[in-house]
Amino acid sequence: MAFWIELLISGLVAGLVIGLSALSITLVFGIARFPNAATGDTMTVGAYGALLGHRATNSLLVGGLTGAIAGAIVGFLGYWFIFRKLAQRSNVALLVASIGLAFVLRAILGVSFGHSQQVFQLPLVRPWRIGDVPVHPNDLVLAGACATILAIVFAILHLTPIGRRMRAVADDPALARVSGISPSSVMTVLWLLAGAVSASAGIVAGIKTVVSPEMGWDLLLPAFAAAIVGGIGSPVGAVVAGLLIGVVQEMATPFVGFTYKIALSFLLMLVVLLVRPRGLFGKLEGAR
Amino acid sequence: MTIDRRTILQAGASALALGLAPQGAFAQAEAYRIGALNPVTGAGSPYGSGMAEMIFAAVDEVNAAGGAAGRRLQVFADDTQTNPQSAVLAAKKLIEVNKVNAILGTWSSGVSLAVIPLVNDANILLMHTSGAPALSTPPANAKGYGYRFQATNDRFGRAFAEIAVKEGYKRPATMAFNNASGIGNTQGFKKAWEAKGNKVLAEVVYEPNQPSYRAELQKVLAARPDVIVMGSFLPDTTIILREAFQSGANVKWIIPGWAANPQLIRALGNEATEGVISVDSVANEQSASFARYDAAYRKGQSQPGASNVYAAMTYDMVITLALAIEAAGPGAGTAQINAKIREVANPAGDKVFSFAEGKTALAAGKKINYEGASSVLDFDEFGDVTPDFGVFFITKGQLERRYVVKI
Repeated sequence: MAFWIELLISGLVAGLVIGLSALSITLVFGIARFPNAATGDTMTVGAYGALLGHRATNSLLVGGLTGAIAGAIVGFLGYWFIFRKLAQRSNVALLVASIGLAFVLRAILGVSFGHSQQVFQLPLVRPWRIGDVPVHPNDLVLAGACATILAIVFAILHLTPIGRRMRAVADDPALARVSGISPSSVMTVLWLLAGAVSASAGIVAGIKTVVSPEMGWDLLLPAFAAAIVGGIGSPVGAVVAGLLIGVVQEMATPFVGFTYKIALSFLLMLVVLLVRPRGLFGKLEGAR
Repeated sequence: MTIDRRTILQAGASALALGLAPQGAFAQAEAYRIGALNPVTGAGSPYGSGMAEMIFAAVDEVNAAGGAAGRRLQVFADDTQTNPQSAVLAAKKLIEVNKVNAILGTWSSGVSLAVIPLVNDANILLMHTSGAPALSTPPANAKGYGYRFQATNDRFGRAFAEIAVKEGYKRPATMAFNNASGIGNTQGFKKAWEAKGNKVLAEVVYEPNQPSYRAELQKVLAARPDVIVMGSFLPDTTIILREAFQSGANVKWIIPGWAANPQLIRALGNEATEGVISVDSVANEQSASFARYDAAYRKGQSQPGASNVYAAMTYDMVITLALAIEAAGPGAGTAQINAKIREVANPAGDKVFSFAEGKTALAAGKKINYEGASSVLDFDEFGDVTPDFGVFFITKGQLERRYVVKI
């Protein structure tokens, strides 16, 4: 039993990272309506930002905020200089532009910080034991941070006027427009928010693993899978699907081994798409 | 940035070659062109610039001794970025634009495996420092133009088994990064360990770039091993050791030296790395060739030569190659030079420790055996050498060499 609980915890921890990055993808997709391939590298920007902040102040909280702000700025700049100009183009053009932005970000990070790995210098602590299950205190802190970030995002979406407008645009852009909602202010907030959320995912991943210019890009594929499984454009779906993918991957390892666990998230995606094409929490899109 | 660095390196290379070579001596023969393809950036960056510099140093030495078979050596340097794609682009440039006759100094198996088909197609030599067993045999080494100056991963595995016996471990488990090098290490260990009548309790092959390796560790630790033998690289080792420490595991580790290095200690701190056994091939430290290399390395990098065994290898590459060119005589092509490499490096023959010494002996009609700075450099039928292995224990954040293992 302890064996399975341990796997479950591993899955949840891995799933949190996937879920946060999927949340950023799905936010952009819901409103700007294209898959943003620069999400992974915005994560990396966040991780480096947090690394600098943490080194300067020795406070993980300040570091995290620095990283989130860096991500938000990158998100906004991407929108202002690239995606805003291409807004009327097909979403393939936007997707390709976002891949280009991803390369540019990675190259800038590579040149500025080098390709060697960097790590958050945090004290390593021995685990608590609850029954036979080891619980890492650092994981609890990270899980708490993730929960806080999710709460903030959902509060913005559901409790603030700008959140209401964002949801209106996500629901029906044309209707939102005729109701007098200004697209540019909605978009600005969206990109700031999406950038900060991807940065947070990158910070969590960076603390759990190591920080290098390629880290975000490497995590992009499972994040896309989670966004699709959860139902594109559904924030709750993205987070739930991220956790689901993490848990399914880890719990399956006794049966399929460690090499094929990655394939499982895509198998899961296939099954969901076949049985329920709109994803777990997605809504049906009407014909246009 | 990339272009700048390359331009500078190349400009430096040509300037060095032109400035330092006694011009008059080489009026006739065409220069022998060497591609120095090293990991200046990326995971190999702690070693790469020293490796490149020692190629230049050895080339200066050869040219100062009048060149090889009347030919001046000329270097064109490039960076693999420790990345197979970039390495292939750089190798293509060296082969097609600079028309090099040999490529020296690739590091990391992925890079060497990617470069060697180009080298075969171009009919030139590749001397590398990578461990993957696949580099020994066809298709990679179909023409026998590949030479390995580092131990194979299989030999590393054998050294790991010797160390496990010596340290009295009874219950080993293995973890391998899923590539030729990682699995080569743990398979080599398993083969040697089982040949001694022992058993490996658990084996895990893991994927790169995972957000966590807890499940992998959980499987290995469930077998209650007393030591975990790794076939790994720096980033994954960092994550795995950190997670193992944080899950309360009390287990010892045997890890290849390119993963258990000062960067790992910096990343994890002293407590989590205490007692880790780091294994790397050691230079041929008692030899006169090592003393020459060491002096050059200290001059260029202000560090002892023993701190970068790969630089000793690239130094030896140039000397070995130059001796083979000398032995093959004026106007020799790749095939003739290739045929001479074992002749100048393997026994029997008079032991020589520098290019000048070897050149004189060859001129006197003697058979020679170059004893390198990195190892005694005796190539087997696959072009592989068997260096000795240094066994380092991480103690209070320092890598402390306790003994040397010979296999």
